[in-house]
Amino acid sequence: MPHLPPSAPGASPRSVRSRLAWAGAGVLLAWLLLLARLFQLQIVHGDEYKGRADENYVKELRVPADRGQILDRGRTVLVDSRPSYDVTLTPFYCGKQCGDILDRLAAVLALSSDELARAQGLLASAGALERFRPFTVKVDVKREELDALEANALDLPGVDVQATPHRFYPWGRQGGHLLGYMSEIGPDELRRLDEAQPQEGSRQAPYLPGDFVGRRGLERRYERELRGVDGKRRIAVDARGREKVGELIADGSRVVPSTPGHNLVLSIDWRLQQVAEKAFPAAAGVVLAMDARTGFLLAVVDRPSPDPNQMTGRITAQALQQIRADPLQPELFRSVQQHYHPGSTFKPVTTIAALEEGIFRPATVVQCPGWFAMGRARWRCDAEQGHGAVDFTHALGASCDVFFYTAGAQLGADLIARWARRLGLGAPTGFDVAGEVPGVIPDVAWSDAHVAGGYQRGMAVNEAIGQGDVNVTPMQQVVLYGALATGILWRPQVVLRVEDADGRVLQSFAPEERGRVALAPSTRATVLRGLLAAVNEPFGTAYAQRLATVRVAGKTGTAQVVRMGARRLRAEQVGYFERDHAWFAAFAPAEDPQIVVVVLAEHSGFGAAAAAPTAHAVLEAYFTLQQEDRAARAGATRTGGGPGGT
Amino acid sequence: MAPEISLAASTDRRRYAHFPWHVALLALAIAGIGLWNLAAASRGARAPVWIAQSWWMGAGLLVALALTLFDYRALQRLAWPFYGGVVALLLLVFWKGRTVMGARRWIGIGPVNVQPSELAKLAVILALALWFHVDDERRKDARGLLGLAPPLAVTLVPALLVLKQPDLGTALVVLAVGITMLLFARVRFLTLGLLALAASGAALLAFPHLKPYQRKRLETFLNPEGDALGAGYHALQSKIAVGSGQGLGKGWGQGTQTMLSFLPEQHTDFIFSVWAEEHGFVGCALLLSLYFALVGSALEIAGNARDRFGHFLAIGVTAMIFWQTTINVGMVTGALPVVGVTLPLMSYGGSSVLVVFAGLGLLANVGMRRFVN
Repeated sequence: MPHLPPSAPGASPRSVRSRLAWAGAGVLLAWLLLLARLFQLQIVHGDEYKGRADENYVKELRVPADRGQILDRGRTVLVDSRPSYDVTLTPFYCGKQCGDILDRLAAVLALSSDELARAQGLLASAGALERFRPFTVKVDVKREELDALEANALDLPGVDVQATPHRFYPWGRQGGHLLGYMSEIGPDELRRLDEAQPQEGSRQAPYLPGDFVGRRGLERRYERELRGVDGKRRIAVDARGREKVGELIADGSRVVPSTPGHNLVLSIDWRLQQVAEKAFPAAAGVVLAMDARTGFLLAVVDRPSPDPNQMTGRITAQALQQIRADPLQPELFRSVQQHYHPGSTFKPVTTIAALEEGIFRPATVVQCPGWFAMGRARWRCDAEQGHGAVDFTHALGASCDVFFYTAGAQLGADLIARWARRLGLGAPTGFDVAGEVPGVIPDVAWSDAHVAGGYQRGMAVNEAIGQGDVNVTPMQQVVLYGALATGILWRPQVVLRVEDADGRVLQSFAPEERGRVALAPSTRATVLRGLLAAVNEPFGTAYAQRLATVRVAGKTGTAQVVRMGARRLRAEQVGYFERDHAWFAAFAPAEDPQIVVVVLAEHSGFGAAAAAPTAHAVLEAYFTLQQEDRAARAGATRTGGGPGGT
Repeated sequence: MAPEISLAASTDRRRYAHFPWHVALLALAIAGIGLWNLAAASRGARAPVWIAQSWWMGAGLLVALALTLFDYRALQRLAWPFYGGVVALLLLVFWKGRTVMGARRWIGIGPVNVQPSELAKLAVILALALWFHVDDERRKDARGLLGLAPPLAVTLVPALLVLKQPDLGTALVVLAVGITMLLFARVRFLTLGLLALAASGAALLAFPHLKPYQRKRLETFLNPEGDALGAGYHALQSKIAVGSGQGLGKGWGQGTQTMLSFLPEQHTDFIFSVWAEEHGFVGCALLLSLYFALVGSALEIAGNARDRFGHFLAIGVTAMIFWQTTINVGMVTGALPVVGVTLPLMSYGGSSVLVVFAGLGLLANVGMRRFVN
């Protein structure tokens, strides 16, 4: 038992009192300091911390705008959007488990080793803030895979399924080059596009990594119009990033709706396009149909084309490599990006040059023995036995080379080139959907600069029949034949209108003349007579392709790809890439031209056999459809007027 | 053998004529606010902790009441055995303790888990009060270094054991309580100066031996934005919660930092940030005023204590409440580094509640017997 001292005397001695006073002062000081600290945080910096607290839980999600549709002139949907169910992973929320989760996703979603490796790469490279950004593990996940995922949702933190609008091309490869496709934005492009935005004065949200942009064709050319304005959705999340439902965010500020992109209405008539696609047998080539009165295109068949559905973010590196390695070059938009010898389809140009320059008169007759000689050189005619005495009508209709060799030899390259250029060749047509090659119209200076040995007089002989160094694109041909038909050099266009999602017209495009070709009436008549003969006279090269009801004016062409030896071979006897290109260019009706059709079938042999039938089918369909439409319109007026009248 | 110390005397009604009602009212006001605040903090949780807390507080009240029933001097007999028992428990924790979040702090006694580190505060208060009570009587002069050795040892043994668990916060509180009591004893000024020097030197030497997470916390304290998602997360989110309360607060249950779990340990160590976020500067000033009125009243009780034992007992309890409040609020507001110290009567936790109520009971006991001889 310890000794317990008695109680202390008195209440408290002086020393204790002073200590208590000190303690009281210390306590008061601590109280003041803490209050001062609270004042500093809550009053002085209160606004700032309030902002940070809001930032903590308010997350802005993007509500992607629906991209505009692309429609044909009859409002057939050519390009649309559909939801794609994409599975994403947000590294921040799965933390150290991310690797395991990815493995399990791979099992549930049957990821290919490529897909898994890509996702693992993205996961490994995601640093700092990127860890909050979900990345796509797999696109277009199937229904049953979604169900499997949902059943396991609790074990898969950070995994989300997002319905992302995805571009859909219901017609696949048809019209692929014209419509184009989309692909993921690159880092440089991102910077460039976002910097360009303010100048465009748009309300458009900036592009973000992972966004898709129009890459080719109309998708690229009209990216701004099609894109739309993204909306925003503000949600509250907790510290683990999970959405919290409640009253945290005022109703008024919860959603900023998106504005859908604008629709493009094209001048293309998809019914005509379908006919052309079916009637065109070649693996590679072009069918262009243009309204002769406006320059608006009615059909653009361009083969081969990659499938835009595949190209839009659904293609493996391997498949892309295959496309790039394809000798047919599927990525080439042949209508404007490839030029060809026009062959005999060039002869109307030589005709015009010869008549306008006064070298020949409309009645000039040339004897064709089957060959033409200049110095020691000889040129063969199409008909080995010769055409005999031919005038312009015969020469164009039966495609006599000797007649034009003679004209070319007298004209020389410069005069042929002058008229070729006046007719729109040798320069881009102004079709702005894709980059154009200008083609080649050689004059003396050009040959001096580009050909070993410089210009030779004999070159003009070749050029007069669309060989030698003359090269034109199919688009230039359609413009040329439009000019032969109407005298107007059109800028070919394909977009009629830009409309908003409700169908209000925002912008409509007028026909654009690039110029008029001033020709003597006798020259025009001579050309027309020759082109009519080619289709409508028994001696004409395309006599088999005449139409019963409408008079067609046209010209066949067979462009030599490889200089031939002495012997002529059948198409089947030579390799594909050595075969001639088949051309046919025509307009109709001859008296009042409405439509121009140009067909180029690569490596298909004779124009009359390989190209003209397609043009025939397109022209026939065009006039049939016109009649049907007229009948339908009349019917609509009648039935529409009925109820209104009572 | 002191005949006046009798347990029977405690039932005398007159004893309660001097009961420090203001202390009780202040404590109950804070405890009520604490429950209300916990209810906000645990809104939507599956097991609302405020219900559990009210059971603990009920138990605490009983403990406090029980501790007023007898003359506190009876505790002189229990001081050393209690101290010895607590030290034994602290040792026991090392090989029988439950590990929670990397620290061995809990020990199971029958069906209950207790935190001996909380009991260590009371043990040190009792033991030091007794030591100074007895020792001051014997000496004529103020203490030198040698005279300070025993009370220092009494403080440091449990403090170091707690630090080893590791529980830096509680160890600091034990140390702060011990040193505060020491300052109220008669000590030579020169000795105090030497001790202060030695303490700073020890702190510098100790820094490299801190646990990595403890060092990280200190570094984070100096630059909290440097690692906003790592170690600085607690400090930063707590500051955001407090600051975003602004003048009047977001309203009860409206704290977004709380509701969306951005606050770590919001029921325990960071409970003050919940209050600050929802009730703003005005609410904080009110709560702090209550705390400091309590501390002030407790100091008054210490000053009016009948004997040295009661004086030091009251000083110890006052120091415990003062230091825990100051360190906790300082930590929550980012003025001090993050150390695990609970806020008396506000933080959730049975051991913490019981120990604070026990302290308050002792305080009341000293207060109501100031005139008794």
